[in-house]
Amino acid sequence: MRDQVETAETSRAHSPPRALVVVSATYADGGIQRFNRTFLTACDQLGMTSEVLSLGDSFEASSSWSEPSSTSVRVFNHNKPRFALEAFAKILSGGHDVIVVGHINLLWLVAAATQVKRKPRVILIAHGIEVWTGLTGLRARALRAVDTILCVSRYTRQAIQSQVPQLADERFTIFPNALSESWRSITARSSPDLPPRFILSVTRMDRGDRYKGIPTVLEALAMVEDDSLQYIIAGRGNDVDFIKGVAERLGVAHRVHFVGSVPDSELATLYSQCLAFVLPSAKEGFGIVFLEAMFFGACVIAASEKGAVDVVQHESTGLLVPYGDTAALKTCIDRVGANPILRRKLAEAGRATVIDDGAFTFRSYVGRLGRTLNLAEDASHG
Amino acid sequence: MCGIVGAFNSGGRLPDPVVFANAQRQLASRGPDDSGTWHDSHVRLGHRRLSVVDLSPSGHQPMVSSDGRCVIVFNGEIYNHMEIRDQLTAPGGQWNGSSDTETLLEAYRAWGIQCLQRLQGMFAFAIWDKAERRLFLARDRLGAKPLYYSWIDGTFVFGSRPAAVVPLSPGAHEIDSQALRMYLELGYIPAPLSLYRQMRKLSAAHYMTVDERGVKVVRYWDYRHIPVDSTLLKRDENELADELDEYLKRAVQSRLISDVPLGAFLSSGVDSAMVVAAMRASGVSRPKAFTISFSEQEYDEGPAARRIADILGAEHRTEKLAVADLLALLPAYVEAFDEPFADSSAFPTMAVARLARQEVTVALTGDGADELFGGYHYYSHVGQLARLNRLPEPARALLRTLLRQLPTHKAKLVAGALRFDDPVQIFNYLRSCAKDFGPLVDSSVLQSTEGSTAWFEQFAAGFSVDLSEAEVGMRLDQGFMLANSYLQKVDVATMAYSLEARCPMLDYRLVEWSMRLPAHFKIRGGQTKYLLKKVLCRYLPAEVVHQPKRGFGVPIAQWLRGPLRSWAESLIHDPNVMSRLPLDKAHVEKLFRIHLSGKRDVHPVLWATLMLLCFVARHDLRQQLPETAPRLAA
Repeated sequence: MRDQVETAETSRAHSPPRALVVVSATYADGGIQRFNRTFLTACDQLGMTSEVLSLGDSFEASSSWSEPSSTSVRVFNHNKPRFALEAFAKILSGGHDVIVVGHINLLWLVAAATQVKRKPRVILIAHGIEVWTGLTGLRARALRAVDTILCVSRYTRQAIQSQVPQLADERFTIFPNALSESWRSITARSSPDLPPRFILSVTRMDRGDRYKGIPTVLEALAMVEDDSLQYIIAGRGNDVDFIKGVAERLGVAHRVHFVGSVPDSELATLYSQCLAFVLPSAKEGFGIVFLEAMFFGACVIAASEKGAVDVVQHESTGLLVPYGDTAALKTCIDRVGANPILRRKLAEAGRATVIDDGAFTFRSYVGRLGRTLNLAEDASHG
Repeated sequence: MCGIVGAFNSGGRLPDPVVFANAQRQLASRGPDDSGTWHDSHVRLGHRRLSVVDLSPSGHQPMVSSDGRCVIVFNGEIYNHMEIRDQLTAPGGQWNGSSDTETLLEAYRAWGIQCLQRLQGMFAFAIWDKAERRLFLARDRLGAKPLYYSWIDGTFVFGSRPAAVVPLSPGAHEIDSQALRMYLELGYIPAPLSLYRQMRKLSAAHYMTVDERGVKVVRYWDYRHIPVDSTLLKRDENELADELDEYLKRAVQSRLISDVPLGAFLSSGVDSAMVVAAMRASGVSRPKAFTISFSEQEYDEGPAARRIADILGAEHRTEKLAVADLLALLPAYVEAFDEPFADSSAFPTMAVARLARQEVTVALTGDGADELFGGYHYYSHVGQLARLNRLPEPARALLRTLLRQLPTHKAKLVAGALRFDDPVQIFNYLRSCAKDFGPLVDSSVLQSTEGSTAWFEQFAAGFSVDLSEAEVGMRLDQGFMLANSYLQKVDVATMAYSLEARCPMLDYRLVEWSMRLPAHFKIRGGQTKYLLKKVLCRYLPAEVVHQPKRGFGVPIAQWLRGPLRSWAESLIHDPNVMSRLPLDKAHVEKLFRIHLSGKRDVHPVLWATLMLLCFVARHDLRQQLPETAPRLAA
């Protein structure tokens, strides 16, 4: 411990890089917010000082996460004018080595400000769906002001390049997400109340989220060989009634259990006891939920679409099916249901990616960030 | 083409042979050439045969496999059965005959359920596997051939028609409320529903297994998720036309196998002309083509069809009718359909089937082209309406109010569609026959059932993402209208005259190709079936291909105000019929009065209601009672 503190002090003595981080939100329970928290934690590990301006967060929400001591977060409760003025002022006042833009919608602000003031290095984080379309006009021009675009998946990079072909390859860095360290402190407990054989989905279920593929899972459930197989869906949304209707029409309503939002400790139990974690979604920018499932030993079935193919390797760390292909999904569920050896093999390979030196561990993530920021490994805490 | 029927009971409680024979007789028009039955202690199978391929007794069904393990009853055609034979070892070293039934049976023996993946054709069949003690039933990918089933108290029965299933399902007399509501909204009953509460239709592209553990229904093919291939936008259009031409020729060529005379339906439209052109290109020197011509010039497609036939070198047969003559088909129409069916285009289909049957046993049709290649303008309207619906609600409300004041049908249609945000909902509205005329079912049915929108949305949930609104519309049409209405119409109307219809446009390889084709090649600048027409221009002069379609709509609206008025009134006011249905009688009467007054044309929903009343009057059907009869197990 003492060594670590000394290293940090030494690093700060050599003026650690200072980052201005403008994000849409940090505290809430969404994919982008989780990414932002992981990112800021990694910055801290690298000895950076981060000044965060968060547009969508409120003061009340800030209690849900304790940011590292090197990180200060200012919340703006969706007050866009105040947020814009503050960001402008910060950029013009200088003093930052790097500006990190957490969402494409905020890029115009940084691009405009850096027209006035000599710009430090600008990094954009491209999560997924928000950049897959609509990069025209001012957005495309603003992108040219970016030095580095961190893409969470190869698909995201390809989608940006297909819209703005002028962007050179060197500006892109594939920067996959990592399993949040908070999961490592959670132990999955055995629960006798759960069905003996069940598949699991964890997802938001709003009307706009039908691409997550839950109706496809229900169709497959109605067809699988094992009539006793149950299906647990964790999550909330305004489309739950539609999904319940689908289950009714397919005659599987008695095998489908909606458990709503559940605490992480219970999620860990669900992950650890399910026969397979199934989310055949069409539009995952990355799919961090797959990492969570893998960490707790679940065998993962995903769709061979977008960012999910970077996370799940077919027949190695999980199984992939074409999006919407109920017959293929049925076959996969039958396979893992009938073959415990296959199930174990896939689960173990999946878990290996999120433990030790796996590609999706926080440690690997910090290393990737350090290399991206040209920070020497020894400048980091971890 | 044939009719099949059967029963399974793991405890050996099979239907009485006399009752079974009665059920089998219901299939007589589907199979006038031969009849057969087979049974053991668990299964009884029956077949009526229309001999098309292998006319010898070796094609007799039910057919037992060479090793005695499997028994099949089969309705349909496997177009690639000779190719499949090449992949199989002949049973006992030699094939017994040349029928596709024998090929199918051996394919099942060799590959089990996976044999379905190799079949190209239209089919509904059942195979009793003695070794597995399992009945295996399947329906073709697009739903050209029907299969109804019922499973009550451990007895599973199936048949090509509900009329064959009903005698084997004691107590199958209750109306399914959900099916009733769907029918009155859509004008047909989508699978797996049937009007009978205790009966289901096997959906297209599904198979089922039945054994002592129960029934399992599985989808084995799905086009919904096939993504549109945007790279085709960069391809040379002529190359794509070459590809389509090749697919069409292959599809037609494979459908020419027949040991009996074969021809084609021909109208003045693109689809049937394309089929006849592909027949010529496939080596048929003088295809026989059949057209119904009308003495009323505004409806008459005869001269245009004649010109197409002359250019293509077809042997053309026409029958001239007065539109009123179609009315004489009403009894046959009512007799032929085993479920209420509200698509009045069945009248001309029956007329042309009757004509064709005088000379041929098999006829090729152009069905499916509209749904695959963008044959309807409303596909593009869905997109336009979806964009309009992005207006703020006050602006939409104002627009709705203004449109409702206009006297045209289209303005009212747009006003109605402006209530919806989602392309699937807009499409459902445009395709519904109920529109905004108010629900015809009573409040108890409304509360206990769902509207058709939920079913459309569920079907669309499996669609490839990023489809345009037009593509969403085409895929919905293919899954609902084509599979459950148009193909049912073609099957029933042709089978009523023992004619086998084949639809080359529904070759599944062509269907998959069309799914990948961007809408840009289907509807462009107001022109429908853009690429298909481009191909047809290779066979016919452009002015013939692009001539305005002289569409024939059966004048039901006028008939209901004229020759059918008293018939309709007697049905609506017949207390014995109305009391058996959970309908809002006052609302039905009001709609009829509105229609008679000429204030609005509500004939689609009225015609659907009248067909329902007519059906119920002829059959022993009654309202669904709350939880009295046993529920269908699957």
